[in-house]
Amino acid sequence: MSQSYNRGTVEDFGRWREFTAGMWAWIFHKFTGWVLVGYLFTHIAVLSTAINVDPAAAQSSADIYTNTIAGLESLLVVRFLEVGLLAVAVFHILNGIRLLMVDLGVGLESQDKSFYASLVLTGAIVVASVPTFLGGKLV
Amino acid sequence: MAEHYSSFERGGRRWLFQRLTAVFLIGVLAFHFVLLHFVNHAADITFLGTQARMSQVGYFATMWLFLVTATFHGVNGVYNALVNQGLTGSQKNAVKYLLVVAGLLLVVQGTRVALAMTNLV
Amino acid sequence: MSTQIEQQETETEEQEAEPEVESPGDRRRAAKRQRLQEEEAQRVAEEETLDDEETVHLKVFRYDPEVEGKQEPRFDDFTVPYHKGMTVLDALIYARDRYDSSLTFRHSCRQAVCGSDALFVNGRQRLGCKTQLSDLEDPVRIEPLPHQEVVKDLVVDMEHFYDQMEAVEPFFDPDELPEDDLEEQRQTRENRETVKMSTRCIWCGACMSSCNIAAGDNEYLGPAAINKAYRFAMDEREGEQRKQERLRIIEQEHGVWRCQTQFSCTEVCPKDIPLTEHIQALKRESVKNNLKFW
Ligand code: HEM
Ligand code: SF4
Ligand code: FES
Repeated sequence: MSQSYNRGTVEDFGRWREFTAGMWAWIFHKFTGWVLVGYLFTHIAVLSTAINVDPAAAQSSADIYTNTIAGLESLLVVRFLEVGLLAVAVFHILNGIRLLMVDLGVGLESQDKSFYASLVLTGAIVVASVPTFLGGKLV
Repeated sequence: MAEHYSSFERGGRRWLFQRLTAVFLIGVLAFHFVLLHFVNHAADITFLGTQARMSQVGYFATMWLFLVTATFHGVNGVYNALVNQGLTGSQKNAVKYLLVVAGLLLVVQGTRVALAMTNLV
Repeated sequence: MSTQIEQQETETEEQEAEPEVESPGDRRRAAKRQRLQEEEAQRVAEEETLDDEETVHLKVFRYDPEVEGKQEPRFDDFTVPYHKGMTVLDALIYARDRYDSSLTFRHSCRQAVCGSDALFVNGRQRLGCKTQLSDLEDPVRIEPLPHQEVVKDLVVDMEHFYDQMEAVEPFFDPDELPEDDLEEQRQTRENRETVKMSTRCIWCGACMSSCNIAAGDNEYLGPAAINKAYRFAMDEREGEQRKQERLRIIEQEHGVWRCQTQFSCTEVCPKDIPLTEHIQALKRESVKNNLKFW
């Protein structure tokens, strides 16, 4: 099947228009999943500064671990990226719960509604969290 | 095609573990986010604060399990996505080992980091 | 179509006979029936306003590797006089009989039982004979099923689809037969309900064509084949030995686990088979079956 005749963009266009809830949910879940693994690797890399911190410097919060995190947090981009990460994580969790229900065969007939609900809830939670993420001292 | 089904993989254990780890991650990821962004602002994190948390056995164990389950869940998810795209044969095997190695390295490094954060070593 | 209405009536009767078993599928089908009725009412209302001179504009995919000038795929335009109740298949037949006898497509029963005429109509997999032109926007774009090799015009190669269907060994193999040769092999009413919808498949291939996992992974069994496996594995009369073998087939890496619950197959199936529901049931069945051996 993958060797199917390429019928060009005409066909693809129609396909996108007819994308249904379940397909969008899949694409979003995939995307958010990849972002989360990507972040996990980066996160551990950043936290690796905790190895061999100078105990004396740590007492006055002047060690590289504390400095690295504070340095990153002082950048406005990083704050925005964190809001993005929150959005990604919240959607992945909510849609993940939806998928677990589908796996259990619960509420299959409202799978589209639960997808829209995940989207709306994600949006609400993210908007509500923006002050917390962007607020706090930027150094 | 029909006749090519020879490599049996009984059970879909990976499928089941993907769901089981997901259930665990729901709680831990939400907890992690709330604790380190809302209760303690990310900008205010210091090594001493981290050390105080990580030196509690229960918290340490939770974070370490978080690391292991998230690594399995994430790496297995990526592998599945690639198989869905029709990855087969030696390419598939290469990717499989690459992902296993990457996952193991992440767990090893993550464990080193976690230990360094405690006042145990 | 008159056949459709009749079918609806019998289904209501069945439901009245057994109101106690209401599954999610039943609810969804009830909702779908209601939606169909509303759509039908709207269609009838719309048709009243049409006059006799109405025409439909078809854009039909053309391709024939054996004819010079048709090797490059293109769309041909046909303008077909519209009459009330006309289906996509009727319009294609008209275009072939009146304008271009080389226009090629498969069809046979004209009443959604043979499964020959699944087509990609206005961006979606549908049965030509079951799709009313009045439900579609003009122009009506008709293409062969995506993700299959095009043989000619609207005809695709179904070989791979049939291979996958046969891979699940779709035949009945009970452990014990009734003493008397002439006796029926009985099944409880509840069990009949469990497998009822899965028996309706007409092998049209619409589901497989709509699935973007099947599009990427050539070895994936696909919704129709898994539904076939469900039909037998969930039948209480199936022999234990055969059921184990069947589960072993669907539990391979390219079996049920590839399903990503996108529901695209369930959306397009012209026989309203709850394919995703059945695939999920088999995933759970397989996990349960294997937990015993740990
Ligand atoms: C917090 C709770 C989480 C839940 C409930 C959850 C749920 C799920 C589920 C059910 C799947 C399977 C989708 C399928 O195969 O049909 C999945 C896929 C995935 N998850 Fe998660 N997950 C969570 C956290 C995470 C985390 C922390 C990561 C990153 C390390 C992650 C990365 C992924 C990836 C990469 C996939 C595969 C995406 C794809 O199909 O391409 N998930 N998740
Ligand atoms: S399951 Fe439905 S869409 Fe798929 S082949 Fe059978 S009738 Fe066609
Ligand atoms: S012609 Fe038989 S299903 Fe349409």
